[in-house]
Amino acid sequence: MSVYQSDAGGNYEYVTARVRARKAALFDDDDYRKLVRMGTSGIARFMEETEYESEMNELGARHSGVDLVEYALNRNLAKHFEDLLRWADGRLYDYIARYLRKFDAWNVKTVLRGLYSGAGREDVADDLVRAGEFAESLLDQLVGADSVEAAVELLGATRYGDALEGALRDYEETGTLVPLENAVDRTFYEDLLADLPAESTRATELYAEFLYAEIDFRNLRNALRLARSGADMDPSEYYIDGGRLFDAGEIRQLVGNTDQLVEHIRSSVYGDELEEALEILEDAESLIEFEHALHRAELEYAGRLSNKYPLSVCPVLSYVLAKEREVENVRAIARGREAGLGPEEIEAELVIL
Amino acid sequence: MSVTTALTEFVLQANGGPGIPPSAGAALAVGLAALGAGIAERGIGAAAVGATAEDDDMFGRGLILTVIPETLVILALVTIFLV
Repeated sequence: MSVYQSDAGGNYEYVTARVRARKAALFDDDDYRKLVRMGTSGIARFMEETEYESEMNELGARHSGVDLVEYALNRNLAKHFEDLLRWADGRLYDYIARYLRKFDAWNVKTVLRGLYSGAGREDVADDLVRAGEFAESLLDQLVGADSVEAAVELLGATRYGDALEGALRDYEETGTLVPLENAVDRTFYEDLLADLPAESTRATELYAEFLYAEIDFRNLRNALRLARSGADMDPSEYYIDGGRLFDAGEIRQLVGNTDQLVEHIRSSVYGDELEEALEILEDAESLIEFEHALHRAELEYAGRLSNKYPLSVCPVLSYVLAKEREVENVRAIARGREAGLGPEEIEAELVIL
Repeated sequence: MSVTTALTEFVLQANGGPGIPPSAGAALAVGLAALGAGIAERGIGAAAVGATAEDDDMFGRGLILTVIPETLVILALVTIFLV
């Protein structure tokens, strides 16, 4: 079960059957409607009766309230995604791992931030999402590292090693984590599309397209955030290669002008899929709504693909996205309730199909 | 060399009569049908095991769906009685 096996096809039948069953077990409209009306302790009790039971029990002794909900969500997500990698073989493994490596990137960044800010070992360990390709033992070693340099050295053998070592000098000069974090992100996004198998059925082509979209939207989000924050930074510095929506020059021009930006996306390949999201971007002031609309479009698209190509990576992708949204939704509900928001306000924050 | 000769004789039907006698043809038909059923069951079986792993109630349904391609072999068995 490794990436190098990728000349073998993959056990699509087995994995998609399991994934479909799990997708059907996710929270539905009714569950969300109940959840937004509960207090944090109610949410915790509700979760104990569902999917999340074992995680809630495991963590219940050490945490409470919103933290408990959040850590249980992370752990459950990690468990399910880890399962995906455990089941999948051959090429299918490769496809799934490509996307799930984003949790590796997240873990590396979490560890670095923890070391930098001097957070406790336990706290950092709780914040990790053990869903990527990194072995448990490596993560434990990382959490136990006593300096940023030591952590970078531990990562030497992984795909992030070279980039991190390169960025280490910048880090030592500037004293900020930004160079290291950028190195991690850049490596992740560059590897996302590296050596995609040339063989392709229609379904894998679409999957590749989805990965392209991941890069494009990351660029788009970065650009929009920079534009909104009004920070005087060169957007091309945060530009990630490999997308098809912009090149580095274009993005610099478009950041200044939202109308032009919307026009640019509308005339691109994403125009049709993102019609609704673009309208929201045009007349809404908030980026959050645009991002929600983006997620909704993603979910719908992945759902359609998984019905059209049942024996491909698409159902898995659709499940991964749906699960991520569920975790984010429940987290938003718990945090929102804690902050004292009303049900309607919270519902506006949810991404429900 | 003798293999080639034997093959040529077989192909040219030097000894007269069909190369594949009727009973052998029927046997081939059943065998190939069973092969096809096996290939079909491979995918269905994998999916059925996956579904059963998620939900025990799927065992019965999975079992039935898995053996549906078996009808291919049963129909192919008809050839045995026809020749």
